[in-house]
Amino acid sequence: MTTPRRAAVLGGNRIPFARQFGPYAEASNQDMLTAALEGLVARHGLAGERVGEVVAGAVIKHSRDFNLTREAVLGSSLAADTPAYDIQQACGTGLEATILVANKIALGQADSGIAGGVDSASDAPIVVPERLRRKLLRLNRAKTPADRARAALAIRPTDLGIQVPAANEPRTGMSMGEHMAVTAARWGITREAQDELALASHHHLAAAYERGFFDDLMTPYLGLTRDQNLRPDSTIEKLASLRTAFGTGPEATMTAGNSTPLSDGASAVLLGSPEWAEAHGLKPLAWFVDGETAAVDYLSGEEGLLMAPAYAVPRMLARQGMSLQDFDLYEIHEAFASTVLSTLKAWEDPEFCRDRLGLEAPLGAIDRSRLNVNGSSLAAGHPFAATGGRIVATLAKLLHEKGSGARGLVSVCAAGGQGVVAVLEAA
Amino acid sequence: MSVVVETLAGMPSTAPQLARAALTARGRRGSTVPERTLRVEDVRVDRTRLAAYQRLTGYDVGDALPQPYPWVLAFPLQTALMTRPDFPVALPGLVHLENRVTTHRRLDAAEGLTLDVSAGDLRPHRRGRTLGVRIEARVADELVWECDSVYLARGRGTEDAPRGDTPPKLPGGPVVGVWRLPPSLGREYAAVSGDVNPIHLHPLAARAMGFPRHLAHGMWTYARTLAALGRCSLGPSSSRVWFTKPVFLPATVELVRTTGDDGVVLAGLRAHEDPSTTHVVVRVEPHPER
Repeated sequence: MTTPRRAAVLGGNRIPFARQFGPYAEASNQDMLTAALEGLVARHGLAGERVGEVVAGAVIKHSRDFNLTREAVLGSSLAADTPAYDIQQACGTGLEATILVANKIALGQADSGIAGGVDSASDAPIVVPERLRRKLLRLNRAKTPADRARAALAIRPTDLGIQVPAANEPRTGMSMGEHMAVTAARWGITREAQDELALASHHHLAAAYERGFFDDLMTPYLGLTRDQNLRPDSTIEKLASLRTAFGTGPEATMTAGNSTPLSDGASAVLLGSPEWAEAHGLKPLAWFVDGETAAVDYLSGEEGLLMAPAYAVPRMLARQGMSLQDFDLYEIHEAFASTVLSTLKAWEDPEFCRDRLGLEAPLGAIDRSRLNVNGSSLAAGHPFAATGGRIVATLAKLLHEKGSGARGLVSVCAAGGQGVVAVLEAA
Repeated sequence: MSVVVETLAGMPSTAPQLARAALTARGRRGSTVPERTLRVEDVRVDRTRLAAYQRLTGYDVGDALPQPYPWVLAFPLQTALMTRPDFPVALPGLVHLENRVTTHRRLDAAEGLTLDVSAGDLRPHRRGRTLGVRIEARVADELVWECDSVYLARGRGTEDAPRGDTPPKLPGGPVVGVWRLPPSLGREYAAVSGDVNPIHLHPLAARAMGFPRHLAHGMWTYARTLAALGRCSLGPSSSRVWFTKPVFLPATVELVRTTGDDGVVLAGLRAHEDPSTTHVVVRVEPHPER
């Protein structure tokens, strides 16, 4: 076995994120992933090249897309002998894909790779009710005309109907927003604090566009050149005027303005060994230092659905001998403004850090001016599996701008009570 | 081909023209094609229609226009040209024999195109007469795409007419695709292309026009084959197609292809049941980026 080497983030590309049923309504996951991949290939001169592997996935996926990433590779200008596979870890998909590719590079099993993700909330698979599905399968395997007639007659008008998939937790029946509302109330996260975070997200993302930050991180798609959800002129008054969407009674604080909208989009990140980068005339932006995943028991109600990153981060910091304050930049995925705020509050809370994390002292507060400095999902939108790639590419470029040695922390919460986190360091 | 340019206010609608074409089909004669170019400026791509076209022809839904797509955009204009009273051949029953397209640079769906259509080059053929139609697409004054089509107007032929160049022989390699084309394909393509020629829609309609059954649109088989060849025709490139035998629907066709050392791709569709029947031959030559 070879000694681990460093894997570098060399670049990234995404298509602008669109709102559900917006300009990408007619595009499939495969179309969007191909577009994001093709833009990455074009920008880094990889046409006709074989990269080690391409790893990506989608959270909402048609059964026909069993080989989604490989199909996108075949539709791109990458060499057709580039292998690919799909993964799915809910909203953690894109970051988990990055960890997988970086690990193979670090182990010498690959010299390069592309990690990505895509999701469409518009082009969703439609599913027939379970009872009807079983009867249709029975009809399909019936051999004689009599069997077929019997199977067909068994279908009752009340069986008919379609089910559009929803972002509900299968075991609790609660939507993600309903889960988050419980957590937000537990941590006493105020409406004002959430709206402020949402506003900052829009303003920061708008400022990043203004200075051309995304010029080499984005390929226009279907007429969009910027994230459709972005509202540069949003104000705290406008956000305060929105009706609450999740939670009930006076404790309800979450609105459409401080929650991410359903979105369509795709992203891809190029990683490679230092040698591969040099051979291809590419400059490492950041090193992939470490990654960690965690899960929490949200079924018992002991912990919130989206709180797993609060557990993953301290485990990773302990392994790296780092403190929470050792970072120049923090990228905490804004599933909801209250997710970010609950996580930060948990890390500051001595009781939580002692009882839940087993720490002698709390992790402490972070410098909020270093948080999501170019905006995050509240402004950009959140096509589930595409968010990890968006964050990794953005952070790698930001760290590169700060200069060698600058460190960044990534934290992404995911359905099923999971969380994926990582550390990057400027090359 | 022609010098008189007539600029129309907008893209004409096809259906009334096709009705007129059917009514005025008989009695069209003459041995010259009027020197006339019809033009429409700033033709915009409807992205929903483009996406439907891309899905039906096997392209990814995206911003780059498939190489045959400007032909679809110009189809109403082409129809308008051919239904003028002084046009010498009848539109209904015309058989598409050949098509040659050059894309000078990647076309983006956001760009407004100026489309020019002209016709000429009436020649004798064994089974009637052939006619050339030329379409040009410009962005501002830059010629970005051009296309020459050859149609056969069936009729009294000229036995010793000079033959056009014969299509290249199909590559003999392994089959790389088998496509089952449903009876509805002609109607589906008509819906996305606006080309509602009855010979593609229904067996009865096709029989009325003298065909045994309805057949797949040549421009569909062409586009589907190009899509199967990957991205080589999305950038600067030339492609040429020969429609050698109609594909009667439903059908199962198989794809064969080969890439030469010079990067030229040769592909063909042949009947799955009888591989000696060649339906379509396509040749794509990628050009260096300008």
